[in-house]
Amino acid sequence: MTLLVQALLNGLVSGALLAVPAIGFTAMFAVLRFPNFSVSGIATLGAFAGYVAYGAGLQIVGSLAVAFAIAGAAGLFLDRAAHMPLVKQGALPAAIASIASGLVLENVVRLLFGNDMRGYDRPIARDMRIGEVRFNPQQLETMAIALAIMLAVFAALAFTRIGKAMRASADNPDLAALKGIRPQRVAMMASFVGMGLVGMGGMLLGLDSSIDPLTGTRVLLSIFAAAVLGGLGSAPGAVLGAFLIGIAEEVSVLVVGSQYRAAVGFFAILIVLSLRPRGLLGERAF
Amino acid sequence: MTLLSVTELRGGYGAADEIVRGAALTVEPGEIVALIGPNGAGKSTLLKLIAGLLRPRAGHVRFKDRDVAGLAAPDISRRGLSFVPQERNVFGTMTVAENLEMGGFLDRAATRARMDELYGRFPMLADKRRAAARTLSGGQRQILAMAMALMNAPALLLLDEPTAGLSPRAAEELFGTIVALNEGGVAILMVEQNALEALAVSARAYVLVQGRAEREGRAAELASDPTVRDLFLGGSAPPMLSGNRGDFQ
Repeated sequence: MTLLVQALLNGLVSGALLAVPAIGFTAMFAVLRFPNFSVSGIATLGAFAGYVAYGAGLQIVGSLAVAFAIAGAAGLFLDRAAHMPLVKQGALPAAIASIASGLVLENVVRLLFGNDMRGYDRPIARDMRIGEVRFNPQQLETMAIALAIMLAVFAALAFTRIGKAMRASADNPDLAALKGIRPQRVAMMASFVGMGLVGMGGMLLGLDSSIDPLTGTRVLLSIFAAAVLGGLGSAPGAVLGAFLIGIAEEVSVLVVGSQYRAAVGFFAILIVLSLRPRGLLGERAF
Repeated sequence: MTLLSVTELRGGYGAADEIVRGAALTVEPGEIVALIGPNGAGKSTLLKLIAGLLRPRAGHVRFKDRDVAGLAAPDISRRGLSFVPQERNVFGTMTVAENLEMGGFLDRAATRARMDELYGRFPMLADKRRAAARTLSGGQRQILAMAMALMNAPALLLLDEPTAGLSPRAAEELFGTIVALNEGGVAILMVEQNALEALAVSARAYVLVQGRAEREGRAAELASDPTVRDLFLGGSAPPMLSGNRGDFQ
């Protein structure tokens, strides 16, 4: 029982960290209409950008801002230069190009920083216990930051003019254009903010463990699974999907061992999409 | 000054596609003009070309004395032309209030006041302001779509089949709303399958056949013309009227 509670707690932390890049991924899909797999490289880039900023003396929030800006700018550049010109030919060519972009980014990071694992140099904190269940205060801090980012994103989508314009454009791009909303600007905003969130997600994952050039590649499937599970294009769906994937991955370790953890995402997609082909929350943008 | 003047307009959905073939029409300030014709005549495509959703291959669209042909939809909307498409004309995932807000995207300062005005004019929208637009009935959705277009304080409203799919009673109410809007000073260019009803509320009308305005005249005259009645007001085949072109001018 203790093991199960521990796994659930760990799953909640993993889910919260996964939700941030999953929201970015699904928001980009909602507006740009192709699955942007360069999130793997962008998450790695964000993790390393945050790492450099943190090493230079910035606090966590400042470092997250740097990760957001660098990842957002790189994502915007790649979308403009490599992905969007291909979207006119269909989602598939753009998706394939984004896999290539992710690989390029991963290797750029490898070239600059090498293959070694690196850790954010945070002070060591003693685990806390409630009964037999242990949790690390730094993990809780990271989870709280992730939740705060999610709240900020939802508040922006619900209450700001540009957030509503993004939702309108995701819902019906032609009608949005007729209302004076410029599709190009919304697309650029979606690229920048979406990839910025993915970059912050990469750093949050790095804060929770360590980083290396494969940081983003390791979580790519989980991010994709979370977004698909919730309903591609749905931000609340991405959050729900991320928590389900996070918990499922942690609990699966108890049942089938950690070597099958990576298969959980595929398995979850298979089950949910068989029952609900449009995901748990459909394509509800908000 | 003529509000909208379309001359020799050509275009369609693709580079090789030409559905509208040299269409010409005018709309004067404050009038209702109906655009009728058989299915596939290019009526909806013509509206999309005027509104900037499709790019014309040739021709001119002068709106408020400026050629707007080829401009993007947001730029044309900014000049005071609002288009209400036949389908998918509201943001289904957003609330009624958010839809109105997006309707007023171009004029942020006036948004609140216009929303209050529209809530007064259409109390149903006020009652449903927090409901998702996808939950509205067909008639309610059309009212919301028109209200969204009015948020931009347009000089010209393009309506594509506003009564499509509505019950006869809801359609009648909607025509009443269209007339009321027009009495408020908004010019309207309307594509309608309910041609008799459309002609009844319009000042003038055009008959579009195979992408060209083959006939133009006062709506009452067109409504009583036996050829038009037989061929378009319940008729099936879309014959060419080119031989009769100009009879009503």
